[in-house]
Amino acid sequence: MADDENNWIVETQHLTKIYRNRQIALNDVTLTLEPGCVLGLLGPNGAGKTTLLRLILGLHRPTAGYVRVFGRLMTPNAADIRRRIGYIPTNPQFPRGMTPISYLDYIGRLFGLPRDVRKPKLATLIRAVDLLPHSGDPIAHFTPGMTARLAVAASLINEPDLLIWDEPTHGLDIEARRSMLELIKQLASEKTLILSSHNLSDVDEVCNHACVLNKGQMIFHGTLQDLKGRIRRNHYELDVDGDHKAISKAVSVLRGLKDFTHVVLRHRRLDVKLGEETPNTVLLAQLFQVLHDHKITVISVRTVGMQTEQAYLDLVEREESRGFVRLYPASEAA
Amino acid sequence: MQKGQKSMSTNSGMRGEWPRNGHNRRAAEMTDPPAMVRVRFHRFLPYWAVLQTDLRQTSQGWLFVLWIGLMLVGICGFYLYRVGLQQEAGLVQSAAVLCAEALRATFLGSLAVVVILSVAAIGTERGTVADAILSRGISRHQYFLARQHARMILVGVVFALVSTGIIAVGSLLFRGGEADISFRGAAVVIALLSLLLAVVAAVGVVLGAITNSTILGIALYWLLLYGGGLLLMLAPETWPTPERELSRLRYVLQGYYSSAYYGRIALTAAAVACAATVWGLIGFSRKDV
Repeated sequence: MADDENNWIVETQHLTKIYRNRQIALNDVTLTLEPGCVLGLLGPNGAGKTTLLRLILGLHRPTAGYVRVFGRLMTPNAADIRRRIGYIPTNPQFPRGMTPISYLDYIGRLFGLPRDVRKPKLATLIRAVDLLPHSGDPIAHFTPGMTARLAVAASLINEPDLLIWDEPTHGLDIEARRSMLELIKQLASEKTLILSSHNLSDVDEVCNHACVLNKGQMIFHGTLQDLKGRIRRNHYELDVDGDHKAISKAVSVLRGLKDFTHVVLRHRRLDVKLGEETPNTVLLAQLFQVLHDHKITVISVRTVGMQTEQAYLDLVEREESRGFVRLYPASEAA
Repeated sequence: MQKGQKSMSTNSGMRGEWPRNGHNRRAAEMTDPPAMVRVRFHRFLPYWAVLQTDLRQTSQGWLFVLWIGLMLVGICGFYLYRVGLQQEAGLVQSAAVLCAEALRATFLGSLAVVVILSVAAIGTERGTVADAILSRGISRHQYFLARQHARMILVGVVFALVSTGIIAVGSLLFRGGEADISFRGAAVVIALLSLLLAVVAAVGVVLGAITNSTILGIALYWLLLYGGGLLLMLAPETWPTPERELSRLRYVLQGYYSSAYYGRIALTAAAVACAATVWGLIGFSRKDV
């Protein structure tokens, strides 16, 4: 356990942020991040995601609790710790009148990188993020995609061990978004990442851990599999083909079977919910047997609500519905 | 690994390279492990980076250009008017008196702009731009000091150059005056006014760093300087108020001054700047950006 504590990349304890006694932005957040973890930070607008990231970076001071990064207490003056962090803020903005070269050189100098390390590195990064043709253009004229690529380059110039990217795919077109996700996957193999995103499919694709915030409170922290494991199961959709009368007859047969709690036919799409008492394999075998008996062909089978999005929505909904019992953790309340 | 050092690979390939058109253009993997070298971070490089960038950006900013322009236009207009009086009406005027008047007006006018320039130094960068800088390897202390020193240097140096120009041009244009300007007196005036303006800038940066609103900071500082100056006019005659010191500039230019007295003023101003800086360092380190 002691070793684990020493190895944590990020550790927060009872982290709370109240702005000027007017707004509770973050409420008692305790989480830890192991090396190699790719954490997806989820939550609706105003949930406290950016506040949490700013606290981890030392841009904000906690009202209560603390943040440790690489085992050391993060403070506004902890420049040594920030040298090992690469950060992309939401909608990154840049100082006026700079070009990608001058900006990356500036960022390199802010990290204290000497010229012989800084200059080759920035040239490599500009080439890597495809900004070579625009390396002398003013950043003010850049498109959101180019700005995002420059922000990526700036966050990597110090070869950080921890990357904190706040909505990196925000405002990107499909191609740029795909490129960004591919890059994140590459980086995830060697770095620890915290990724704040509104886009749940992005998180689903690249993250292995998730942290869900709602109104400043952390309502979930664990692996993505754990998050998905909390959702409703046994809900399937089948696209079927065959005689319409036969399909209708099969539906009525299915409705008569035990543990088929919900069977609805909509334009040759069968929506089926199964009960929890009987193993779903048994029930699915019965389902396919009925379809076979009525000479119905199955075109496709899908599980419904098995995605991160559904899990996330369930979590938020459940948290909202708990009322004043929110005072206690969900497990205790149960 | 020693403090302040970090291992970095020297191979130029970025491991997570940006793919284009759906194809990952990752550099070919090297078969040999990358050579590792110890990189010694330059501790004060972030300070220099912010200082240099601030100097460059501020000197290219519209407010700075406007300040220089207004000073030059005002001085040119004043001197043209006085030269006209001398040429047309034959009024012989003292160069020291005219230069002191020009310096006084330039100093009081510059205060208004220096307040904006200094209070806005940190205040206007709150939010995402500050994120982009303060999230890197720079401490709050270094950032604050770099900003403050940049504004002090810019304000002090520019005012010293402008006041040198005012005195040089004035002494050339009004040679027929009753008393010449002494070199040492001119040097004392230039140094004193530039120092005072630099101190005003130093305190302004502190106010900008610790107040939540730049506009509020500017308004407060204007009120403090101009309102305080007016109130001090009511003070007893023996008190060294700004107005009285400015009205004595003509004598200083002529060489009638006490080095010890102006030394004390300079030391007091420096002490005020130092105290304000300590206050700013503590306040800014405890502030959310």
